[in-house]
Amino acid sequence: MNKTGFSLPALVLLALLIWTLAGCQFTQSPFALAVSSAGAEFAAAATTLSYVHSGKISTQYAQGSFVNYRSQLDGLDRQLPSQQGAPGRASIEQLLALYKVAIRAVDDPCLETSCNWQAQVAALNRASQAFLKAAGS
Amino acid sequence: MKKVFAIALGIVTAIGGFLDAGTVATSGEAGAKYGFGLIWAVILATIEIILLVEMVGRFTAVSQKTYADAIREKFGFKFYLFPLASELIAESLLLAAELGGVAIALSLLTGISWHYLFPVAALLVLILVWSASFDIIENGPALLGLVTLSFLVGVILLGPPKLSLLQTLWKPPVQQGQFADYLYLVAAILGATISPYLLYFYSSGAIEEHWSGKSLLLNRVTAIVGMGFGSIGSLALLILSAIVLRPLNMQAGTLGEIGLAMAKPLGIVGGYLFAVALFSTCLGAALEVVLAVSYNVAQGFGWEWGQNQNPVQTARYYAFMIVFLLIAVIIGLLGIDPLQLALFASTVIALFLPVSLSPFLFIMNDPAYLKDKTNGWFDNTAIILILLIAFAVAVVSIPLEIITGGG
Repeated sequence: MNKTGFSLPALVLLALLIWTLAGCQFTQSPFALAVSSAGAEFAAAATTLSYVHSGKISTQYAQGSFVNYRSQLDGLDRQLPSQQGAPGRASIEQLLALYKVAIRAVDDPCLETSCNWQAQVAALNRASQAFLKAAGS
Repeated sequence: MKKVFAIALGIVTAIGGFLDAGTVATSGEAGAKYGFGLIWAVILATIEIILLVEMVGRFTAVSQKTYADAIREKFGFKFYLFPLASELIAESLLLAAELGGVAIALSLLTGISWHYLFPVAALLVLILVWSASFDIIENGPALLGLVTLSFLVGVILLGPPKLSLLQTLWKPPVQQGQFADYLYLVAAILGATISPYLLYFYSSGAIEEHWSGKSLLLNRVTAIVGMGFGSIGSLALLILSAIVLRPLNMQAGTLGEIGLAMAKPLGIVGGYLFAVALFSTCLGAALEVVLAVSYNVAQGFGWEWGQNQNPVQTARYYAFMIVFLLIAVIIGLLGIDPLQLALFASTVIALFLPVSLSPFLFIMNDPAYLKDKTNGWFDNTAIILILLIAFAVAVVSIPLEIITGGG
């Protein structure tokens, strides 16, 4: 114990406490991070699909991009319910329903004009908005 | 005339070789997530790399020694192992990210999954480091990398940004809970730009190209003009992402997404230009990382080294090159997304910067090596400050990002 009445271990503990509290405010919960990045990936997939059909990117560019989107979104449906910070079951099920439709578009994007790519863009945008909203809630 | 040509080539290759997987990833993600709120970090990192490149070139030209040689000579072999270990860890991660960047670029051009193209990228790098001369490795991809200047054309075609976006320059849009991520990106930007491999490569290159005291002007101009203009590619990419991707709620979580920012102003050509830029910058950086680390090890252990030497005479140098490339391939085959790997590698580099570069400060102030060309107070102060910033943000942000599963 020194003259000020604080021992070194107490000061270290105090510093750790401040660090932990600061950490709580510094970061989002794992759930918020996961849905935020999934929402952004769905937005990217929707933009990619729109761009390929408006001639702004090649089909090859879109194909290469969708492989990456799939990797980023892989396994999200299994992880979401158990993530720290996850909301109630009803909210999760709503998100998962949107995820299922949107991930089908990511798995098999409609890159030709013969199929209904607009429906896929709409599904991806719906999922994107819902996931981004969940990240903020 | 020869001198003018050498200076021009130095500037051009420095501009073309500035970007790599780390700088593309950090610039793209910074713009998409925080608008112009991280431009300051890119500028800070550029000042630092200008100072460091000028110093290491000056050191080698005057002392006729490489950086690795000097560390071992001044501090002893045991001490040398610390910066070497930090280099091996950080640069093997970075090399895996660069190979992934090459694979992604080929994927965007061909439509084939980057997972299949990753071994092709590694094989291409192996063939080039095995057979190409130093000049080809230094200048070839860097000249092709001048296509990154098309990012600036994209920015000009998009027109002036909205006032609300401009305001993010001094008021970054960091929401509650995002501060760790913001710091993580600051560290990644600093680590991506101030990669110590550049110093080992530049220093060894100066020996390969027989620099002397007469090369100081070439060195200074290359560092200031080349690196200064090189950062334009990085800044332009950040601005493109901020203007195009951010309003679309994209976070530039994959490398291909970043290229969509070029497709808006330039159409299909923009996508191709981005893919070619990604290919050339990542290929150039992969080659430089392999060479830099191999130079470092060979110089530290006292082996024969040199890209212009016969592989039989420098067998251990070439053997290490293959082993190092294999380590990176194994890391890459784990399947981690190259952009995420590039961000992580860049942050780890930032964490190790004091270990990698502190010896450099002592050496740069030693008249036994530099005679009357030692550092001034400005160089020393600037380097210490920026190293401390990079280290501090990396120390704070890496654990928080790992705990929350971000990054």
